This record gives sequence, structure tokens and C-alpha cells, in this order.
Amino acid sequence: MDLHLHRADYLQVGVTSQKTMKLLPAARPRATQKVVIGDHDGVVLCFGMKKGEAVAVFKTLRGRPVARLELGGVLNAPREKIFVATGSEIRGFTKRGKQFLSFETNLTESIKAMHISGSDLFLGAGYTYSHYCDCRDQHYYLSGDKISDVVCPPGDRLARVTPVLACRDRLLRVLQGSDVLYEVEVPGPPAVLALHQGDGGDSGEDLLFGTSDGRLGLTQITASKPVHKWEVRNEKKRGGVLCIDSFDIVGDGVKDLLVGRDDGTVEVYALDGASQPVLRFEQALSESVTSIQGGCVGKDGYDEIVVSTYSGWVSGLTTEPAHRESGPGEELRLSQEMQSKISSLRSELEHLQLKVLQERDRYQQSSQSGRAQSAVPAFSINDKFTLSKDDASYSLLLEVQTAIDNVLIQSDVPIDLLDVDKNSAVVSFSSCDSESNDNFLLATYRCQANTTRLELKVRSIEGQYGTLQAYVTPRIQPKTCQVRQYLIKPLSLHQRTHCIDHDRPVNTLTLTGQFSFAEVHSWVAFCLPEVPEKPPAGEGVTFYFQNTFLDTQLESTYRKGEGVFKSDNISTISILKDVLSKEATKKKINLNISYEINEVSVKHTLELIHPKLEYQLLLAKKVQLIDALKELQVHEGNTNFLIPEYRRILEEADHLQEEYKKQPAHLERLYGMITDLFIDKFKFKGTNVKTKVPLLLEILDSYDQSALIAFFDAA
Amino acid sequence: MLLPVFTLKLRHKINPRMVAVGRYDGTHPCLAAATQAGKVFIHNPHTRSQHFRAPRVLQSPLESDVSLLNINQAVSCLTAGVLNPELGYDTLLVGTQTNLLAYDVYNNSDLFYREVADGANAVVLGTLGDISSPLAIIGGNCVLQGFDREGNDLFWTVTGDNVHSLALCDFDSDGKKELLVGSEDFDIRVFKEDEIVAEMTETEIITSLCPMYGSRFGYALSNGTVGVYDKTARYWRIKSKNHAVSIHAFDLDADGVCELITGWSNGKVDARSDRTGEVIFKDNFSAAIAGVVEGDYCGDGCVQLICCSVDGEIRGYLPGLDEMRGNLVDTSVEQDLIRELSQKKQNLLLELRNYEDNAKVEVSSPPSEADGQRGVIPANTKLHTALSVNLGSETQAAHAELCISTSNDTIIRAVLIFAEGIFLGESHVVHPSPHSLSSSIRIPITPPKDVPVDLHLKTFVGYRSSTQFHVFELTRQLPRFSMYALTSPGSAGQPLGYVNFTIAERAQRVVIWLNQNFLLPEDTSIQHAPFQVCFTSLRNGSPLSIKIKPSGEITVNTDDIDLAGDIIQSMASFFAVEDLQVEADFPAYFEELRKVLVKVDEYHSVHQKLSADMADNSNLIRSLLVRAEDARLMKDMKAMKNRYMELYDLNKDLLNGYKIRCNNHTELLGNLKAVNQAIQRAGRLRVGKPKSQVIAACRDAIRSNSISTLFRVMRVGTASS
Repeated sequence: MDLHLHRADYLQVGVTSQKTMKLLPAARPRATQKVVIGDHDGVVLCFGMKKGEAVAVFKTLRGRPVARLELGGVLNAPREKIFVATGSEIRGFTKRGKQFLSFETNLTESIKAMHISGSDLFLGAGYTYSHYCDCRDQHYYLSGDKISDVVCPPGDRLARVTPVLACRDRLLRVLQGSDVLYEVEVPGPPAVLALHQGDGGDSGEDLLFGTSDGRLGLTQITASKPVHKWEVRNEKKRGGVLCIDSFDIVGDGVKDLLVGRDDGTVEVYALDGASQPVLRFEQALSESVTSIQGGCVGKDGYDEIVVSTYSGWVSGLTTEPAHRESGPGEELRLSQEMQSKISSLRSELEHLQLKVLQERDRYQQSSQSGRAQSAVPAFSINDKFTLSKDDASYSLLLEVQTAIDNVLIQSDVPIDLLDVDKNSAVVSFSSCDSESNDNFLLATYRCQANTTRLELKVRSIEGQYGTLQAYVTPRIQPKTCQVRQYLIKPLSLHQRTHCIDHDRPVNTLTLTGQFSFAEVHSWVAFCLPEVPEKPPAGEGVTFYFQNTFLDTQLESTYRKGEGVFKSDNISTISILKDVLSKEATKKKINLNISYEINEVSVKHTLELIHPKLEYQLLLAKKVQLIDALKELQVHEGNTNFLIPEYRRILEEADHLQEEYKKQPAHLERLYGMITDLFIDKFKFKGTNVKTKVPLLLEILDSYDQSALIAFFDAA
Repeated sequence: MLLPVFTLKLRHKINPRMVAVGRYDGTHPCLAAATQAGKVFIHNPHTRSQHFRAPRVLQSPLESDVSLLNINQAVSCLTAGVLNPELGYDTLLVGTQTNLLAYDVYNNSDLFYREVADGANAVVLGTLGDISSPLAIIGGNCVLQGFDREGNDLFWTVTGDNVHSLALCDFDSDGKKELLVGSEDFDIRVFKEDEIVAEMTETEIITSLCPMYGSRFGYALSNGTVGVYDKTARYWRIKSKNHAVSIHAFDLDADGVCELITGWSNGKVDARSDRTGEVIFKDNFSAAIAGVVEGDYCGDGCVQLICCSVDGEIRGYLPGLDEMRGNLVDTSVEQDLIRELSQKKQNLLLELRNYEDNAKVEVSSPPSEADGQRGVIPANTKLHTALSVNLGSETQAAHAELCISTSNDTIIRAVLIFAEGIFLGESHVVHPSPHSLSSSIRIPITPPKDVPVDLHLKTFVGYRSSTQFHVFELTRQLPRFSMYALTSPGSAGQPLGYVNFTIAERAQRVVIWLNQNFLLPEDTSIQHAPFQVCFTSLRNGSPLSIKIKPSGEITVNTDDIDLAGDIIQSMASFFAVEDLQVEADFPAYFEELRKVLVKVDEYHSVHQKLSADMADNSNLIRSLLVRAEDARLMKDMKAMKNRYMELYDLNKDLLNGYKIRCNNHTELLGNLKAVNQAIQRAGRLRVGKPKSQVIAACRDAIRSNSISTLFRVMRVGTASS
């Protein structure tokens, strides 16, 4: 059965955070439910739909932004109590809007994650996790990285309380009390957790996770170890997962998986006989989907997926057909409803317009006086700057609550800005006239009307570091712009990992000197992405990294007064050495840097590069042939006369071209890395081989692995 | 939602912009398109059995209903239509860089095959002005040529630069068609036969033109802009990051008015309302669009819109039915409307809140640097802009300069200038490094051409530590001749070239014109006529002087013939002069032109000689081959080997000869372009009737190969002395 869903918009509130909209339980099955939503203005709104009109049940006053909204209640009873996290405070409302709880947690950071089960309250704020029972402090844990979500499998079914934290360092931490029971590595930074089927599945231990690079997975959290069930990879390069819910929208008696992503995609996965997910439905909205839940809101008897978006739209994807097959009278009534809605909106707009004009005049007048000031209106930007593993490039995502007028991208490091197909904005590169201005890239994106999201792709070069700035100007009066800064780190293409291959030949860089643990940690955080800002608890720490482009690895172990960095890639070590010594000199700290170079590692790295390079060369060659072969095909009428190799190229032509398009400048990047490797190898020996680089490029042009290795050895 | 009535997938690639539908047998529309390897394919879905058999045409080995036409040269343009009304069916026209072929597909015969030295970049078929028979008009390097059914050259004129697009449209609503020409110098020119009646300057190369209805026409630029003009006024335009490959007018929603259908390089097809540019329909292909045409492809009497993609996918759309008039995108327009209105409401609420917040800040505290973080600046902050001429220094070339400054201690974080045609892209950004931020910024501007440009400035104003900035938006116009600095008379040598003309205008009006078109220092006061003003070009330092006598006689001294032309055209439009005869002399330029003309002759003779050589060689090849084969049959292996060796050498010679021919040809083209441009420039020195007279007279002079007459025409404007 195909799933057909129609979009219906209900209303718009302010900007919303992740997981801030819920449906209150229905009085009877398939009856309309009330929606409750909290936004950045701090308003909690509960409304229901009556004859296509949103009717508010209650609405609170403005306050601090709502970061989370959950439902709770007495165990084994309908969850009807509304809990809202704003700043460090938890507030509770009944379904009528009466506030029955105001609990100041005294957490230093504002709450980002919340889970409620009976009288247990699990909170995540920055790096800290707290567990309260009846508002009394129970447990506390300081995590190694920021906590993005927290969930606790139902304690009453498992007879144990093992909350699970989703941490940015690609780990799910399973806690018992105040201690870690065990850690589960997941393929990307987890952004959201949910109980499978809403209650943890058959075992009560099944946990769904969604990552910010768009993967989805199911893991069973048993008492002693995780059991990995399945993972949905992000083949289509959709956005990161922001919210997950389980609801039977297909209508086959099994709860389906509803997923909302930050590129506006809403997906429905049905579970097949073997409990594997199968994509059944997909729809793209224009902005991030912050919350998702299945239920019934618009009309009783019709199931729907209710979503809230970043700019505060609450919409339903309903199974109710757009055109009902009933008599023509019905249709007429429907359009009348619409008409009245439109006319009321119009009159409201006129009224507002008048008011705005008055205010605008006042504002203009105020600019005449000498003492008055003018403040730019604050607007919120939802931004994400992430390294995507597949093509070793960064993707920058900017989302604003209103339409964007233009975005200025400025960088003081040489980077490449790549075209993203989804973008409709007109990009224009400006000349970076004088070097004194520290500009390596100046580009403007002029957005088309109604664009609220902009996605960019940036390719960085390891060893070159600095800042990328985005000046975002929305279409809003008075005109303002906001700057966002993103660091391009020296080892920008590295990614955190938790296990590495210890058998590889490694080069070692050792730092000793009078520096504190916090200092050496700040240096590492300066050089490498995905390192927590705060130094982790304990005396020392070990982090593992992987180069997303070449698959080489880096192990960094450091404590007060000592740091050891091991990598099989000599260039990585070279970059670290340069940056660390520069940083230390800046802070006037005396550093002893010693290194141990392993000649075998160079050959090892070249061997790592070899299959990639060979593949790329072959691909380039094949793609070059396609056009000529096609012409021959047209000329001769068939391909029987061609050798099988060429025939295969023709058969795979589309696929090859697509592959080739996906990896622009891949070959050049590989050449660049080999050249760096060559220079760095001899830099450690104290010889400058820059003059030999043209020779190296010549060898690369007619690539042969053994010749290349011989050249590295001989020079 | 409109669904395609048919979808075909041909296994031939289609070259962009080279698709045409014609009734080659008089009844059935067939699709003709240029494909790889210098071939044209004709897709005939109606009669499966009938195939053309002839040397030129062969049956496609890939598909049964496709025939291939071998052109043996890269096709550069293609169209179909009625060239000979007596035939009763359509002719296929195929243009290459050297030839134009008019081909009768039905009878498999050439109507004519003409050599066109200037190439054929674009072709259009139809009636032009008062010329009775249909013409095949081609646009090449600066040249427009029209051929009738016999291949007679009935129409010839020159235009400013290489032609990229052509269209026939009733521009002045007189019931006769005018020719629209889009060329590489960003201009759309309108030719009423060989007289230019209008010129519109766009911001990029005009890649496509199409008549809509009446005097309305659509256009597309190479930077992704499409839009609609009504006469000389632009109705709307939109810009996309993709390129518009093909545009076509078609009434898709059956409301009686044509929409502009655009096929984009990313595979998108959209239909936009001719009045507002609003999208009323869109569809997506998997590959770039190659062409958008119309025809009754199903043979059921209804005309379909036919869209072709480069990989051979063809979709046909029927216009929407009456009941869905103006409503193709979605059934839930109301939903969309509500969404839009709500969004508006939200925006207004946000703006209101901004003013409220602002009022709060006002009462709280006096301004200070610390407030910068939040983006608070004094409300009376003003932005001053000034345009001036900077003569440059040793490190920097001379340029026009835009100076922006704030009225207090706030700083300018960055300036964005959006202006088309004077920067590499559409924008220019000035972003000073954090330690050199100040309250004023000087931006050098060097427009490459003498055109007036609107500079849309967005200035980010705040404090050093701000993360939020106020955006000041304003527009300044850069005058046409901003790259000329005022100098005192007599400081530089008088240029030899001059133009001389008389206009009946008071000197004060000329001063107003000067003020509007040049960047004059503020304290410049100009005395009454007679007076003289001198300028120096900031581009190459060459002098320019304008002298006005009390009688209204104006003399412009410059060695740059283009500049003189620009000045005359600018003055003519400012003073609304309809006809202007001008006396001109540009000794240096004319001398250069004389050399070019000599060269053209040389290249022509070389070309002829090379062609003759080639013919000789091909005879030789034939005989060598015969003799070699004879030797083989006689089993005289040694002789055969020798013959083949000779043949091999000859082949090498031929290849070399071909290379020389190629070089010769490109040189010749370059020089011909220079000649055509010279005629165009001589025309630009005049206005109205004298202009077309000059162009016609120049052409006659070149035809009769009389160089002295040519120069006399260029000087005085007429052939007779």
C-alpha cells in the first residue's frame, strides 16, 4: 500500500527547539488530540482544531526560551502533565494550563535534554547529567562531551534504572546511578534518542538513536552489553535527524518509525517481517523539522503525522484525502471555511500593517534626535557546521526564522566553496583585492524569495587554519545582519573515533614542558575537531582520531607536562608540530618537542592512498572515454565490435559520470596530500625538497605505485 | 498539476539550443535536432515504414523511427520552417561555422548550400519588414545575413559584436516583423530591416530571445537571468544560479496569453506568467534541457509543448483545460495563500517587536562602546557616500572611487556592492581586516565599459566587537563616463582623431549633460559658450576634449572611436536628437583598418590557393591508391610499399595543410570581425537615418572593394563627395 499524506498547516508560533511539541493523549481512540508546543519566546501554547480553526486551550506568558517539552504523569496512567524546561528551571502544567510545579534545579548551564518517567526526572545540561526523584537530587554525572539527549528505558518493566545519555563524542553512555555502566559507540554524533515503539519494544530495552549526520539505528541496551540491531545509513545525503516517534500511520498494526530531519525531510519507515526498517514515505518541508508525533489533530478518524518546524509552523501530514468524495456541498463548505480564514487573516494583516507603519515613522523620527539609540533586532539563527565523512568536506547549514536576503561568506584561510544542488541562491565570488585585509574568500549568496535555509559546502586543506565567517542578513525591517564564526582547525579533516588499529607503523611526537593539563587540552582542542571544550576529568586522557580523507589515524595521549601524539601519517605529525610550537611560543611556554620518525610509515601511507588514487585515475580515464564511445555507438549502431571493457564502460556510463561528479577535485586533493607527505618526510630530515616537487608531479602524472615509492626512497 | 501527454526516450544526445519541429512532408510534424559528431537526427513518429534513403541520410542504427543526416561539421544552429511557400512543406536549415544548408527533407535535396565566412551562430526563419519572401536570417561574427529560398543574399547588415541569439518580433506594432539581435557585447538591438531602431543594454551575453505576443519578447542571459521586455521597457526579470538554455512562448494554462517557458541547465522546466514572472508550472528532467519547442506531435490537432533534454528525453505537455485556468501548480492554492499570509503576519509581528525592543533600549542607557556587542548604535548615525576620481599612485592604477563614511564613531564592518556588469560576479565585497576597521572606507571601482551602473550598497555598521550590525541600504548611480578625469586644457597633446557635429542646444544644457555623465569635482564651474573641457582616460591616460562653439557646433577630440561613439549616442539620447550627421576622422584607427583590409585580401588569396592545393592532392591520392593496389595485385610488394609510403607522406602534408587552413581561417575570421566592427563603429558616430546610410554605404564600398570610398564614407557619412 502506498502512503498518501496531505499537508495541512495549523498555525505558527515562534522559533522552536528540538522536541518541544507533543500531543496530549486523546479521550478515546482516534479522537482529535490537543497540541502543546513551547517556543523561544517562552510561550507554551496548547490548542486544538475546531472546524479548521486553531482554538487555544491555554497560552502562557512570554519568558525564557523553551528548550524541551515532555509529557509525564503517574505511571500506568495517561501522560497528561506537561513539563517544560526553560533555562535551568522545570515547570509543570496540567492539561488545562494550571501551573502545578516550578522547580529551580540550580544547574549552572541551561537544560538541553529532559526525560520524565513517573516521578523520575532525568536532565542533561551541557556536560552534566542529573537525576531527580520527586524533585530531590538522586544522581549526578559529568560526561566527557556535551549531552544532546537523555532517555531512560522503562524502569518498571526492567526493574532497573539505566538512563542513556547521547553524547556528542559519538558515544551513548549507559548509566547506573552516578556511574557509567558501559559505553556504546555509534557511527555519528547522536542527536536524538527514543524508546523503540514508544516503550522500548518487546524487551523494553530497545533504543532508537538518530545522528546529526543523518544516520538512524536501533540498539538493545541489556544489563551488561549493547546488542546492535540495525542501522539506516544516510545514502541520499539527507540532513541530520532531529526527532523520532513511533506511530502506526501505515495502518498495518505495527508501529512505524516517524523521522524528522534538519533539512526538512519527514520520513516514515515501516518495519518488515524481520523487523528491519523499510522507507515507506518521504516528504520535504522547507525548514528543519524540530518535533514529530503521530496522532490525530485535524479531524477525528484520520491519523496524521504532526510536525513542528524551526520557524514555528505546526503542520499535519494527514491521511485525510484532500478532496473528499462526498457530495459537492461538502466541498463548497470546505472552501468557504478557507475563504473566511483567508479574509480574517487579511484583515488582521491590514491592521498590523497600519500599526507597523506608525511604528516605522516613530523609529524614523527617533533617528533625528541626538540622544536616542537604535538597537538591531535580535533574530535567531540555527546553524550547523559539520564534517561529512563521505566527501571529506564541511557542510554549513544556516537557517533563519524569516526569509534570508543575503549571506556574505568571508574566510581568512584558503578554502573552496562548493556548489550545492539544493541551493537556489545566486552565488557571486568577489575578488579579494589586497592581502593586507586577510581575505582569502569573499562570496555573496543572494537568496530567492522565501528562502529560509541555506546550505553550503566547504573544502578545507589540512594545515591551513583560521576562521570562516558568515554574515547573515534576513529580509526584515530594520535591516540587520548577524555574524557567525566557524573555526577551520589545523587538522580539519580528522574525526573522533574510539578504536584504532594499533599495528600500524607510527611516527611519534612528544611534548614535554611546564604546562598544565588544561593548557595542553586547549592546544589539542585548537588543532582537532570534536574535542570537548572542557578538559575531561582525571589526570590525563587519550583521544583517537581518524583522517576522513586518507583513513590514517592519530592517537593523542596527554596529561600535565607531557603530550604524546602518534600517527601513521607523517604530514599529520608535521602539522601538529608546527601548530603546537607556534601556540606555545604565543603563550611563552618553553616546550621540548621531540619526534621519532618511522620510515616504514611513509610507505604505509602511500599504500593507503594507492587504491584511492588508482580508483580515481581509472574513473577519470573511463569518464573521458564515454563520449567518444557513445559516438562510435551511434555511428555503428551496436557495440558488438567493442572489447568487453569498453562495452562495460558504456553500460555503466551514467553511474560512472555520477560518481565522477560526486567527487570534484578528488584527484587534485590526493596529489596535494602526496606532495605534502613528500615534503614533510624530508622536512623532518632537515632537507628542503621543494625543488623536486615538479619531478614528483611528473611521476604522479604517469602513476605507478612502485615508481612512486622508489622516488620517495631515492630522493 | 499538468502531466506530460507523452514521454519518449531517444538514444541520441541532443545539442543544447538545436532543436526544431517542422512538417517536412507538409502534414506530420517531426523533430529535428543536432546530435554528436556533426549529425542531425530527425525523429518521425508518424510513419514507421517510410525512410529516407540517400547519401546524406541514413537510418539510425539505434532506433527505427530516427533518421540521421550527416553534416560532417559541428552544427552551430538549426531551425525549421517555411522558406519556400510554394513547396507547401517546411525546410530544415542547418548552420555551421562556415556554411548554411537549406535542406528539403521530404525530397532529400539541398535547396541551397551557401558558404558564410562569418559563421552562423544563430538562425531564424520568417519574414522581415517589407521583404516579401521568407528569409533565413543568420547571425555570425558581427554580421547579419538573410537568404531567400534560392540562397540569394537579400539582407545584410552589421551589428556590434558576435551574434548569439535572434528573434523576429513585431517590436513597434506596425504589423511587420522586426529583427531582434542579442550579441556578445550585452546589447539587444532591434533592426527594422537594416536600420537600428532600438538598443537595450543588458548585463551579460544574450543567449536566447523569443517573441511572446505583440511587442513583447522574452530574453535569457548567460548568467542565469530570464525576463520579458515590452518594447524597450523591461517588465520583469529573475536570476537563477542555473543557466536558461532555451526559452519559448506558449500558452500553457489556456488563458489566451502566452507564458514564458524556460528550460534550465539543471533539468528544470518552468512556465512563468508574462506579466509578473510568477511560476505557474514546473517540471524536472534528469538532465539539462536542450530545447523547448511546440508542435502537434501526437497528430490529434492539439499543439503540445515539447521539452527535450540533452540525453534524449522528450516530453510533451498539452495546455491545461479551461476549468483549471491559471491554476496548474497545486490544488491547494488556498493552503499556500494562507501560509504566505501567515508568514507575512509573522514578519510584521517580528518587526513590531523589533521597534518595541528598540524603544526599551532607548530609555535604558546612553550609547557606549560596550553596547556594540548587542548591536546598539546611536540612532542619528548617518552614512555619507561620495563618488570621485582617483588619479592613482605608483602602486595602484587610476580608478573611480566610492567613499563611504559614518557620521560618528561607529565603524564599517563590510560593504557589499551589488551591481551588474562591472565586477567579476554580480557583487563586490570589501571586508577590512579586524585591526584596520574605521568609520570610513574607500572602494576603488574600475568599470570596464562606459555604461551607467546602479550601485546597490549594503553597508554593515556597528562597533568593533559587534556580532550584530545595522545594514544601511542605498543606491548610487555611477555615471557613464566615470573613468575620465577632468584636466586643464592644453596640458596634454591634442588627439588627432575628432568628430564634429552641430546640435541646436544651449550651452547650459550641455553642461548639465556633462555633470550627469562625468565625475566632475564639486567646485567646477563652467563658463558660457564657447568653452572647452579636457579629460584624461583613467584606463590608458589618453586625452579627450570637448569643445563647444556659440553656434552649437561641438567638437570631440579623442583617438578612441568607441568613446566618440558613446559620447554621441549619450548626447543624442539626452537631447532627444533623432537624426545627426557627423564629420569624423580617426587617422590612427583608419590606418589600422587599412592594414586589416589588406590582410583580409591576403588571407583570401591564401585560402583560395590552399583549397586548390587540396583539390590537387586529393587527385594525387586517388592515383596513388590505384597504383598501390595495382602493385599489390601484381604482387610487386616493393612498389606497393613505396606507393603507400608516398601516400603516408602525402597524408601528413594534407594534415599540415589542414592546420594551416585552420589557422588561416581563424585569422581571416578575426580580421573580418574587425572590418565589421569598423563599419558598426562608423555607424555609431551617427544617429538615426545618417547611421543606416553610413552602414549601407560602407557595405557597398566593401563590395566594390574600394577602400578610399570606405574611408570617405566613414569620414563624412556619405559616399558622394
